[in-house]
Amino acid sequence: MPVRSSIGAVVLATVIVTTIAAARAHDETKYPDWSGQWLRTGGIQWDPTKPIGRGQQAPLTPEYQAIFEASLADQALGGAGNDPRYACLPVGMPRLMSVIFPMEFIFTPKTTYILFENNMPRRIYTDGRSWPNHLEPAFAGYSIGKWIDGDADGRYDMLEVETRHMKGPRTYEGSGLPLHKDNQTIVKERIYLDKTNPDILYDEITTIDHALTRPWTVTKKFRRDHNPTWIENDCSEDNHHLAIGKEHYFLSADGYLMPAKKGQPPPDLRYFNQSKK
Amino acid sequence: MRSSIRAITLAGVMIIAAAGAQAFDQSNYPDWSGQWKRPAGVGNQWDTSKPPRRGQQPPLTPEYQAIYEANLKDQAAGGQGTDPTYTCIPDGMPRAMNVIFPMEIIIQPNITYVMIEYLSMLRRIYTDGRNWPKDAEPSFMGYSIGKWIDEDGGGRYNVLEVETRNLKGPRAFDASGIPLHADNQTVVKERIYLDTSDPNILHDEVTTIDNALTRPWTVTKNYHRVRNPVWVEAICAEGNQHVRIGTENYMLSADGYLMPAKKDQPPPDLRYFKQTGK
Repeated sequence: MPVRSSIGAVVLATVIVTTIAAARAHDETKYPDWSGQWLRTGGIQWDPTKPIGRGQQAPLTPEYQAIFEASLADQALGGAGNDPRYACLPVGMPRLMSVIFPMEFIFTPKTTYILFENNMPRRIYTDGRSWPNHLEPAFAGYSIGKWIDGDADGRYDMLEVETRHMKGPRTYEGSGLPLHKDNQTIVKERIYLDKTNPDILYDEITTIDHALTRPWTVTKKFRRDHNPTWIENDCSEDNHHLAIGKEHYFLSADGYLMPAKKGQPPPDLRYFNQSKK
Repeated sequence: MRSSIRAITLAGVMIIAAAGAQAFDQSNYPDWSGQWKRPAGVGNQWDTSKPPRRGQQPPLTPEYQAIYEANLKDQAAGGQGTDPTYTCIPDGMPRAMNVIFPMEIIIQPNITYVMIEYLSMLRRIYTDGRNWPKDAEPSFMGYSIGKWIDEDGGGRYNVLEVETRNLKGPRAFDASGIPLHADNQTVVKERIYLDTSDPNILHDEVTTIDNALTRPWTVTKNYHRVRNPVWVEAICAEGNQHVRIGTENYMLSADGYLMPAKKDQPPPDLRYFKQTGK
């Protein structure tokens, strides 16, 4: 009978569709398209709407404002100040999201990865897990994220992330703007595409840290390159900065140790047998 | 009858629409998820079936065997020889596949990513059928093009064949300093596949073609899977007590002073410092 045949055919087809859907565990159509390479727009300062250094007007406590001022003074003399990056330590969170060199996203069902050209990847766990009880702290911290369908169109459009469990030392930018040495930082992010230009991505980053008088929110903006070239950026390759103890030195182009600051004494060579010439 | 045909056609359109919307069929690919680690008890030498250092019996040319011997002598005296990684530059290829620290492999439609938990060693293996680029910046990890193979005809890919070129140096095979040629013309070919009887073992047959070698050198690396891993940030530059000044390597003492790495090593030349007499 025609009606029963039709119903049977549709039921069969539905079973087939359901089977196919089940076999493909990760439905990419649920996620936004963040493929390609994302490059920063603007400079390397933390808040891109303001100048680097004092111009950031960072809401630091008086104690940490003094630490920052001392860092700026040291840098003005040729030192590295608070910025540990000269020794190729990772910048950690939140500074990683300045994206000095480009980044790439990979979505998998339980983890969103952010890959960088000069740092180990971030793993943002989106499987609904709780915060671990015992965890080795890391410069990039530990991140748990949640996908949001803000406009209720059946497709996620925003990733909310919280990051904890960081270690230090960390700064916001090369000026040495400091985070608290207690490493109790929490970083919250909202990452989403521009509504009118899908090749623009925003990251609203809120940092909660004991060096601050209040949570500090900045919005980073990235532009997309659909056909990228990836360059390997290795900080340690041909790095002419050198730390010996607490002192920062340079290596000259001809391979000799040299001062970083005017009048800087040479390192103490007490452990060498120094024969007179 | 016509109703049945229409119903089937409608359902067929739905199936096709569903298939088109879901671009990447992971069921075509093997499950290489989780964390892959060097097996317990396995050392960090290149060929893990042989003892380290000279026991590796690397098929080096006479010129590079001499370089290797000089390197072993320097290491025995406290130097770093031809192992350049003490300054925290990446291991590069093929050495990265020693997987000293764990790795993760993520299979995506056009790229398979290999992420190693150390020195930001990230490999992108392009599986989109592209040609070799003409002007690519050389890198320690090189440029990799791969091809998925369904070798057992099971309807699912099970082997990833990879070729890597465009490398830069200096690179060594392992910490003993087995050198690769200074011309950086290395080509690395790999066949990566799960063990046929234990899906938690991954094999990487790595063949290195290099002008420091008398012939292609093939070793098989084996990795064990951890399904619920803990990832630890291994940072070479953190607490690194090695220092390089010019062509000399020194150490930093626990109390923060420069010290010799070798017996009777002279201190660095301090010509650029104003040195006041005490």
